[in-house]
Amino acid sequence: MTTKDKLKHILIEELNLEDITAEDIGDEEPLFGEGLGLDSLDAVELVVLVQRHFGIEIKDMEEGRAALQSIATLAAFIDGRRTA
Amino acid sequence: MNLDIAISGIGVVGGFGCGREALARALRAGRTPVGKASFMTPEGPAQLPAYLADTAPLERFVAKRELRRIDHFSRMAMLGGFLALEDAGMLEADRSRLGVVIATGYGASRTTFSFLDSIFDGGDALASPTHFSSSVHNAAAAHSSILLKATGPSLTVSQFEMSVPSALLAACLWLEEERVDAVLFGGVDECGELLHYCWQRFFPTATAETIRPLDFERQSAVAGEGAAFMLLTRSAGAVAPLGRIRQVLQGNAEGGVPALPGDAVLFLGADGHRECGAAYRGLPENALLATYAPLYGSLPVGPAFDLAVAALSCRENQLFPAPSGGSRGIGLQPEALAGRSICCLKFGTDGDFGLIRVEK
Repeated sequence: MTTKDKLKHILIEELNLEDITAEDIGDEEPLFGEGLGLDSLDAVELVVLVQRHFGIEIKDMEEGRAALQSIATLAAFIDGRRTA
Repeated sequence: MNLDIAISGIGVVGGFGCGREALARALRAGRTPVGKASFMTPEGPAQLPAYLADTAPLERFVAKRELRRIDHFSRMAMLGGFLALEDAGMLEADRSRLGVVIATGYGASRTTFSFLDSIFDGGDALASPTHFSSSVHNAAAAHSSILLKATGPSLTVSQFEMSVPSALLAACLWLEEERVDAVLFGGVDECGELLHYCWQRFFPTATAETIRPLDFERQSAVAGEGAAFMLLTRSAGAVAPLGRIRQVLQGNAEGGVPALPGDAVLFLGADGHRECGAAYRGLPENALLATYAPLYGSLPVGPAFDLAVAALSCRENQLFPAPSGGSRGIGLQPEALAGRSICCLKFGTDGDFGLIRVEK
């Protein structure tokens, strides 16, 4: 399973996104606002989930803002850290 | 405390189903089917009989998307609250002076222990912020207030077996002080893996599938969960089809059982727990009493369900047959309430008691 697919399943499962499947989430779709509709509490939850599931820490707001744009940016952030 | 508080609506959910009519049907049938709760033990998967509540009907009041971060405990409370408002014809009314008071013995135990587990597993840095926010004790009352746009005060009271009378005292005080125009008052408790695991450890030989509340020597409790809510308003002499709360009393029966009106019907909070059952033995031999725990299960906020049954009895002007039966229960056929008051009496451990007197 790719990082993107794993992230989609984590989002659905851990953020209780009922009535949505992994296929419904576009790689480039914004996670917040008009896109998937997540909010600030979800952002905090996501930071914890990334650390718990991938062992990668999002250290500050600057880093988080860039990484948490979409599934694609978050997966790239995680994969980049893994290979660093 | 002598009162004149009207019960204006009832909202209940539990093993018997959802809504006032579901409870009335269970009362008329004299039984509720008992489900099974699954949980893990160090020896492997296990099951216990339990009365479990389904909160799916909440989607009738709140969009599914809005519920995604709201746990089972809060969902039960919210469903009970919405149903009580609907029953009172208040769903569309202004709720700017509506207070919310919730009684609970255990609180949101599933969420609380999930939060603690996440700390044990990954340290405080990896604890779920959502679980934390829902484990805060007033979360269910807060969720209810926010979604109902009830801008009066909200409060959660936890005093284990005495939670319901204690919380009801607070609700009645708010009304007496005219701090609010109405109070959405209810009791809620939930089942969960930890609770079932504890039950299996504490009562290893108790395998009852039927609560025998008047068999005081026997541990026959069956875990239950659910919510029983009522909309309370100042009566001011108005017609109150669901009855009036006339007295709420808390105390300790060490010096004897509380004084009761001579013609009162007692709805006992006996729910199959042997340790609490002993206190009911001291009641007068000729007391007319009934127990309804076999319809909703054993849970600390059982008196909230008894209060709902009392309100239904006032509405129908009759006493429902007690599922416990027996020589000390009321008859198996409905009988007229005939102007008598109903006293919901709950004993806790060490002789603590709470009494709620209701009249038509």
